[in-house]
Amino acid sequence: MNPAKSYAHLFSPLGGEGGENYRAPGQLTFLRAPHVALDTEALKAHGARYAFVGVPFDEGNVGKPGSEDGPREFRIASQEYLSYWFEFGVDLNGLAVDCGDVPMPKVNPDSARERIYRAVTTVLKAGVTPIIVGGDRSISIQAARALSDHIGAGKKMGCLHFGAHLDMADSWAGEKLLSTCALARITELPNLPAANAAHIGARNSMNPKDYIDLAKARGIRFYPMFEIYERGIDAVTREAVGKVWGGTDAQYLSFNFNVMDASAAPGVTATEPGGLESREMVRVADIIGEQKTASLIDVTELAPVYDVSGTTSRLAVCTVLRLMAAMARARGELVDQGLRRSDLTAAE
Amino acid sequence: MSDTAYHWQHVPHQHRGPHQHTGADDHIYSPKLHNGTFKSQGIATFLGAPYCPPDRNAIRAMGAKVCFIGVPWDQGQVVRAGTSQGAAGIREASTQYFPYMFEYDVDLLTFFRIVDCGDIPIVPGNNEKSHEYIYHYLTECLHGGAKVVLCGGDHSVPIPGARALSDFHKNGRIGYLHVDCHLDAAPDWAGNAFTNCSGPSRALDLPNCSAKNLVHMGSRNGLNPKDWHDFFVDNEVRLIPMQELVARGVVECTKEIFTRAWDGTDGVYFSWDTDSIDSSCMPGTTAPECFGLKGREIIQLARTAGTFGADIMEVSELCPKFDVSHISIKTAALMIMHYLGSRAKTLRDRGQQP
Repeated sequence: MNPAKSYAHLFSPLGGEGGENYRAPGQLTFLRAPHVALDTEALKAHGARYAFVGVPFDEGNVGKPGSEDGPREFRIASQEYLSYWFEFGVDLNGLAVDCGDVPMPKVNPDSARERIYRAVTTVLKAGVTPIIVGGDRSISIQAARALSDHIGAGKKMGCLHFGAHLDMADSWAGEKLLSTCALARITELPNLPAANAAHIGARNSMNPKDYIDLAKARGIRFYPMFEIYERGIDAVTREAVGKVWGGTDAQYLSFNFNVMDASAAPGVTATEPGGLESREMVRVADIIGEQKTASLIDVTELAPVYDVSGTTSRLAVCTVLRLMAAMARARGELVDQGLRRSDLTAAE
Repeated sequence: MSDTAYHWQHVPHQHRGPHQHTGADDHIYSPKLHNGTFKSQGIATFLGAPYCPPDRNAIRAMGAKVCFIGVPWDQGQVVRAGTSQGAAGIREASTQYFPYMFEYDVDLLTFFRIVDCGDIPIVPGNNEKSHEYIYHYLTECLHGGAKVVLCGGDHSVPIPGARALSDFHKNGRIGYLHVDCHLDAAPDWAGNAFTNCSGPSRALDLPNCSAKNLVHMGSRNGLNPKDWHDFFVDNEVRLIPMQELVARGVVECTKEIFTRAWDGTDGVYFSWDTDSIDSSCMPGTTAPECFGLKGREIIQLARTAGTFGADIMEVSELCPKFDVSHISIKTAALMIMHYLGSRAKTLRDRGQQP
């Protein structure tokens, strides 16, 4: 094989047999990454840093349905991006694999939850960071539990969550594992100290009083949008990152895209005005990316049926890729500055 | 009508069935037994508030301090139809919210004893008769001792609305605020003096509303003919165009307009057209316009307005049929809810009742 072909994807296509259209992949995977079976040994053998796992689960929502189409749309939107990110001088190619979707049994949420837990555990055991795309926010409960069990009782984990709602219901209509209970369950994990948890973006009145009461009782620091209006997103994100990454062995990063302003993300199950603007989310990704690694990333509540122009999925993909790019730069994984497209042509 | 016929009580209909909730404050907490009013509607009312007939005695008997009332009227406007569904959209969106607002630590429903008075009847094809109904129904609410949240309907609604407030304070003075992308100051539009193009012009005609208590904020772009602008120049009415709002910030500008409206007056009519909002945040409006208020500016405006208050707060020109992702109806509901939340906090901090 021509060695120049190993970096051909950094450049505009040359055409011919080697110049496939980047938007027409042979197989629809996250960022055209190779598909690898959801199996610890297979993942270890491949050696990727991230494993994308879709979770089309919609039976933990209390409001509008539609998030089970999230993973599919996320993969499609990821075709719109290249792996080279000029702002960071990095190449995401080879960093990720796609393990497909967790098969979901319908009308059996208990079984579905166990499958989500097992899928995340499988990836973590390979030493790979799962990128979990839901699905409704309740999948975060299983993902966080998997991380907590994986690191074990002797280690500490942090949790940084973005969303419009605190999801701090101890129970909702008697149920304990719905999306509205997500942060309540996660902050009960034995190795997640309250001091290492932070929530950014709370606003508006899908935050009943018990959410606030429980968050305060547990000492969970939440940064409501009113605080971001006053202090700015940079200061708040840096403070929250300091709490979550400070002195912890593992970090769980969770994005419910209703954290965005309704205008920036119409395609979520519960749009909320007054949220983050897209340029603020870019800052969030850049600032978190200074941390080099996260142990688990999830993206929830995308609802493509409301995303008439596809902007929301694209924003979600952009956020994740940007985060990956910023982390790659922080780790010093830079593309050779000397590479040129003309070298490719010469090698042909 | 006896006082006992109307007793304010908030118990969603589901809770009166075989599986009842019992706690008086159940509605501000996550549900204990079933999903409550989430996805299970009874009579569609704003925030699940109890229905009250638009009758001054009934409103007084229930002790309601805020009446939500809709106007399914879109034949008083010259642009696209569709705003007759606005109030229904807000009621629908409000099922996705709790009446508790953590930002102000207040339960809107019980603090204001909010009631939903349903929709005002209208007469198709007859702007004049429809405006008369609006005038009479708002008069009932005001005499019932309540503030009014009026949901349009097109932006001709403030013409009878401000007239009702003017007559209610006939021995005093009123202020009039018009927050809108459009100046709406036509002397008439093709001979008709009562369309959605003439809100401020008709307000200045009122005997007890003077130019110094009339303010417009948020105007921009090219659906503002010259006579509309001349009205503000010739009558020395304060105008805060969008450029000035952006330069000075929404909080400072909102404080200014409310300070002017309340200067020496006994009541204020606050007319808030949804097209004041940027088209990205409010696609579901009659005439969407770019360069408008952004998400957080809407909330800041509502929050600042709540520190001053108004007798009638009107949200108009909401068109759910253009709101493909359902973001506009939720935004419109929150314009009202943040206004009321901030109003409640302001009153509570002063030790006052609504």
